[in-house]
Amino acid sequence: MIGVGALLHTRQLSRSPFEIATALIVPVVQATLAVYLCRAGGEPGRLLEAAVGAGLMGVWSSVLFGSGGAIQNQRWQGTLEMLMLAPRPPALVIFPITLSTAVTGTYAMLATLLWGRLLYGVPLTFAHPLLFLVAAPGCVLGLGMFGLLLASTFVLMRNANALANTLEYPIWLVSGMLVPLTVLPGWTGPIAAALPTWGARAVHEAASGGPVWPSLGICLAISLGCLAAGALMMTYVERRARAAATLALA
Amino acid sequence: MALFRLIGTGGVIAYRALFNWTTPAMFIGSLLVGPIFQLLFFAYLGRQLGVADDRFYVVGNAVLAASLSCVFGGTMAVANERRFGTLGHVLLSPRSRTAVFLSRVLPYAGNGLLIAVSTLTVGALLLGLRVPPEALPALLATLAVAALSCGFFGLTLGALGLRFRDVWVVSNVSVALLLLLTGVNVPAAGLPGWMRAVGEGLPITHAVRAARHLAAGDGFAAAGPALAAEAGVGLGYAVLAAVLLKAFEAESRRRASLDTL
Repeated sequence: MIGVGALLHTRQLSRSPFEIATALIVPVVQATLAVYLCRAGGEPGRLLEAAVGAGLMGVWSSVLFGSGGAIQNQRWQGTLEMLMLAPRPPALVIFPITLSTAVTGTYAMLATLLWGRLLYGVPLTFAHPLLFLVAAPGCVLGLGMFGLLLASTFVLMRNANALANTLEYPIWLVSGMLVPLTVLPGWTGPIAAALPTWGARAVHEAASGGPVWPSLGICLAISLGCLAAGALMMTYVERRARAAATLALA
Repeated sequence: MALFRLIGTGGVIAYRALFNWTTPAMFIGSLLVGPIFQLLFFAYLGRQLGVADDRFYVVGNAVLAASLSCVFGGTMAVANERRFGTLGHVLLSPRSRTAVFLSRVLPYAGNGLLIAVSTLTVGALLLGLRVPPEALPALLATLAVAALSCGFFGLTLGALGLRFRDVWVVSNVSVALLLLLTGVNVPAAGLPGWMRAVGEGLPITHAVRAARHLAAGDGFAAAGPALAAEAGVGLGYAVLAAVLLKAFEAESRRRASLDTL
């Protein structure tokens, strides 16, 4: 059910010019920015790292805005009641949506890598090519699980978009997607460690070298925790909305 | 007098009706806190890569911060009329639509100025940037010109909303392009010639140059030409927005596509 649901929602998102443009063009602009920053800093050896980092930023943006607005979007489409009437736990119905936002985000990763290769000649020489093929989907899956927690939390907030806008750059910053954690103040370490951004670390390690499995394992462990918390929250929100008859109300 | 009332009161009413970020939580989250994290992100990235010092990033990103509300605000000023089903009423008005739409930029520019000042202040405090006190009035004027210029740029994009459905795609991509092409985060010398040429025609580029001169204590004489260029770019977009609005309005009436979503 998760597979079919994720496929359905991914196909639906892939029909949206806005989603596609956001997932393809914006990360490519960011990748270009990263490439020129690396060149200006005299570090052309880090171009692959920059392209991968920009792609990861795109995946995060897709999850943040897609999952944050997942329930609201269903409400606007008039399909939320139908989803909640399904004889399945609400988390199981919403999780494919948040997973699909992460899958759509992988367009960003592919776009930045292709862009870097074709336009700037970035050598796609991954330190662990096979592990990269494991780490990238692992990261996407982890972020999809985190997305469920976002979706269930954001639905309680009237101004969830404000939080989504505010969270984009902080997560980019503390997750080490483009800025190494070593240059950040020490107090940001525990915050980064508690987020499922270990997936980003695993992808970077697969691309540039490093122990991939520990980072990926921690990412999936934290993400499973987010999935469990999101499922509990979703059940609570659904019961509350049914009791107060506010399911369709924004 | 009536024209001033149309510009002042009309602009404020339209701002309150169409600007989707006007609840305090959204305003603070999206427009005041977000740009500060953007500034920190690029400052740390620039430090790590050794591209430029903190002054470069604090001043650049503070000026760029004005663009967020102005570009999206300018787009909302036109596109949301259509979304809310009120575009036809506005275009039926016997008053000058050029004045109606151009006046809408003022509140957004005020917003942009507030955001730029707040980002500069917090960024300077967090990263320890000292700006010469005598440079502050000219710096404020530079931020105001940048905000106005971005507002007219946003209105130009908003005018496209009279003709095209997915104008938000254009706004999102434009905001991302401003990050790349205006020399805010990559020194202009590090960009290829064609990117620099495109950047020269965009808002922010010249204002950033002027603001960096002022923050470095070079004085108004050094910043003046760049500030004048920014004002010229802003004026250019104001004229372009007026022309596009007029042309697309006529075209929409002819094709009966005003409220087509």
